[in-house]
Amino acid sequence: MTEKPGGWTGQMLRIDLTSRTTELIPTRPFSERFVGGLGIAAKIAWDEIKPDTGAFDPGNKLIFSTGPLTGTLTPGSGRMEILGKSPRTFPREVVTRSGMGGHWGAELKYAGYDAVILEGEAERPLYILLRRNGVIFSDASDLWGLDTFLTQKKLKEKHGARTQVICIGPAGENRSRVATIISETGFASGKSGFGGVMGAKKVKAIALQGEGVGLPVSHPGRLIRLASYYQDLLNKNPLREWTMGQPPSDSHFKFFNKYRTGNASCFGCPLQCFAFIRVPGTDPGQVHCVNYYYLKPASDYYGESLEADQALWEAVSLCNKLGLCTFEMIGITQWLRDLFSAGLVNDKDCGLPLSRYGSKDFIVELIQAISFRKGFGDILAEGAARAAKVLPNAWSFYEKYYPAHGQSEHDSVRDFPGIALLWALDSRDPMIDHHAYRHLSVTRQRWPEPHVLYPDKAQAIAEKVFGSQTTIDHRTYDKKPEAIAYCQNRSAVINSLVLCDWLYPIFVSQSREDRMGDTAAESKFLSAVTGIDFLEEELNEIGERIWNLQRALMVREGRTSQEDTIQDSYFSKDGIDRRDFEDAKRTYYKVRGWDEKTGIPTPETLIKLGLSEMVGKLNL
Amino acid sequence: MKLIMDMRFAALNTRIRQCLVANPSACTGCRTCETVCSLIKTGRIFPERARLRIDRDPFEGRFVPQVCHQCSIPYCMNACPKEAIGISEKDGTVFIDRERCDGCALCREACPYGMIRIDDEQKRACKCDLCGGHPQCLKVCPMNALGIAFYKGREQP
Repeated sequence: MTEKPGGWTGQMLRIDLTSRTTELIPTRPFSERFVGGLGIAAKIAWDEIKPDTGAFDPGNKLIFSTGPLTGTLTPGSGRMEILGKSPRTFPREVVTRSGMGGHWGAELKYAGYDAVILEGEAERPLYILLRRNGVIFSDASDLWGLDTFLTQKKLKEKHGARTQVICIGPAGENRSRVATIISETGFASGKSGFGGVMGAKKVKAIALQGEGVGLPVSHPGRLIRLASYYQDLLNKNPLREWTMGQPPSDSHFKFFNKYRTGNASCFGCPLQCFAFIRVPGTDPGQVHCVNYYYLKPASDYYGESLEADQALWEAVSLCNKLGLCTFEMIGITQWLRDLFSAGLVNDKDCGLPLSRYGSKDFIVELIQAISFRKGFGDILAEGAARAAKVLPNAWSFYEKYYPAHGQSEHDSVRDFPGIALLWALDSRDPMIDHHAYRHLSVTRQRWPEPHVLYPDKAQAIAEKVFGSQTTIDHRTYDKKPEAIAYCQNRSAVINSLVLCDWLYPIFVSQSREDRMGDTAAESKFLSAVTGIDFLEEELNEIGERIWNLQRALMVREGRTSQEDTIQDSYFSKDGIDRRDFEDAKRTYYKVRGWDEKTGIPTPETLIKLGLSEMVGKLNL
Repeated sequence: MKLIMDMRFAALNTRIRQCLVANPSACTGCRTCETVCSLIKTGRIFPERARLRIDRDPFEGRFVPQVCHQCSIPYCMNACPKEAIGISEKDGTVFIDRERCDGCALCREACPYGMIRIDDEQKRACKCDLCGGHPQCLKVCPMNALGIAFYKGREQP
């Protein structure tokens, strides 16, 4: 290969905040084995983040990484991956990932960089302006303390309306473990708490202008043809109208039919799953499925009224403004309600109106207390998991809403054996990266006509993709280890390209009579963009390599086989059977080529996958 | 001189004109159109060089596609000192003669929609030419927020 491949810009930018210096690193040595996005970021983390580094230490690094397909014409190519030591994961801080949609990742490529590595710690609050010609460190003392909307508006005013910004709110500044990084009104990197890491590094925002030299594509004509074809295949998905993953309830429908002014989308996405909402008396913004967490409490409290809608919207909008994760709010609000019902906490001690759960006051005061670490909020800002360890008798109530890793439940873990396994074997909430598998096995079969996926068609798809119908059978763990290993590999690739897991792998197509999707889409796009021919099988192998790299990171940080599990309360006679679960786990280790007892990748597996530098670094 | 003027205004006597039209209420600001336009026109993906533009206001949820209106008496054409801008006889699109253009950017200043770009490498003005009558941007728009309109233009006064 003499010609430069398309897709990559070819360089990554390292920014040392302590010395305010930058350095360019070539992407090529990394991309050959790890493609981009998650893969490259994980490799950098393996080389550079020491296992005992704390999330808020200057030694931690925050890697914003895009892949060869980011910002190309590929449908759903607006995402990027962020990776670093997460303050949020429980019981210990581990290196993990967090995706983010929007326009920033794509714009980063147009500015001429595949990735940005933030390291060190700034002396004073600053924001960074990335340009084609270099990096400008600017004082952010006038931005520090502002909410995310205002910060972005000010930066856009100063540097032009087309400037793309990612920033943190007061929650991140105050090093909350559940703080997000926000772009626009609702594109967030949430579950790994990286907002707090940015806050610890004293970086308020990274603004960039995509006026580089343009992104080379090897076969433009082929790319345009592919994009049109796959747009058709992906279209007719009801998500644009529902703007959420599951069929909306009547109250959802009422809410967004009343207040939706249109849709919003990430860069280059045909699905456009965000609704843009404007509730009278509040700031408008975009909303996605997770954000409706306060719908039921508010309507129970107020009844059907404008007050209820305002309370719900304030709950969403304030979280995004102050930079707090709405996923955490799902768990933490219910957990606090239970604690209050059990008489373990009260209004007076906490300084929060817990008795008025469902009211606007409750949610506004709670969000502010956490973001500004006021009073009781100081404990909650550590995340529910760490708070539950501190508060007496709180743990048993906590367990119900948090299946593992200190992250709140995201779809029912009890629903499907494969989902329980995914939760147990990851370093964070896995469902963010495995929507496609969940849709095939659970959600789409519950969708109403005409979107429903009938079981016979789902089975035919499972037969074609996984080679067995059993992979989507809800009653058994049989074939689940194989299926989830496949899905993890694919999700690792998708996070490295970087594409959206809502769309890929395309298991199901709503626009075809037999509902059969096309799992080869990613490899076709990658070949057209880079000019290097990739087969679907090769991508699977790259995915396996990246997943093993992630596992190696986990093992190096002390992950044991005993920790590959979910909270005890999820195991029961009518819930998840512990014996079946443990057996499936052992089978999974075997499928992966890991030590069956410890779950550590064996040297043979590592060498086979081209990860020989990790041999001997993992205790066997 | 007379000959050139005739060539430049030739299309004013044709009845049918065409241009892109946009429906801002359908647009969600995904910028697929910018991507495909820049890919076709520059051979690279480079939205800043696209011949159309989405003005995004994410805080108000307003996404407004800005397209070239192929004016019947174009401001850009009138501003050009080199007489490099003309109206196509075939379909009424406003085009730039790259041989004559010297990149002075007066047309860019003149266009009320900001639809003229100056090519970085070659220092020539460039604008939407409707891809020869088959615009790619409207083909890839997932929301059908772009269309093409045929209409009768204002005739030469």
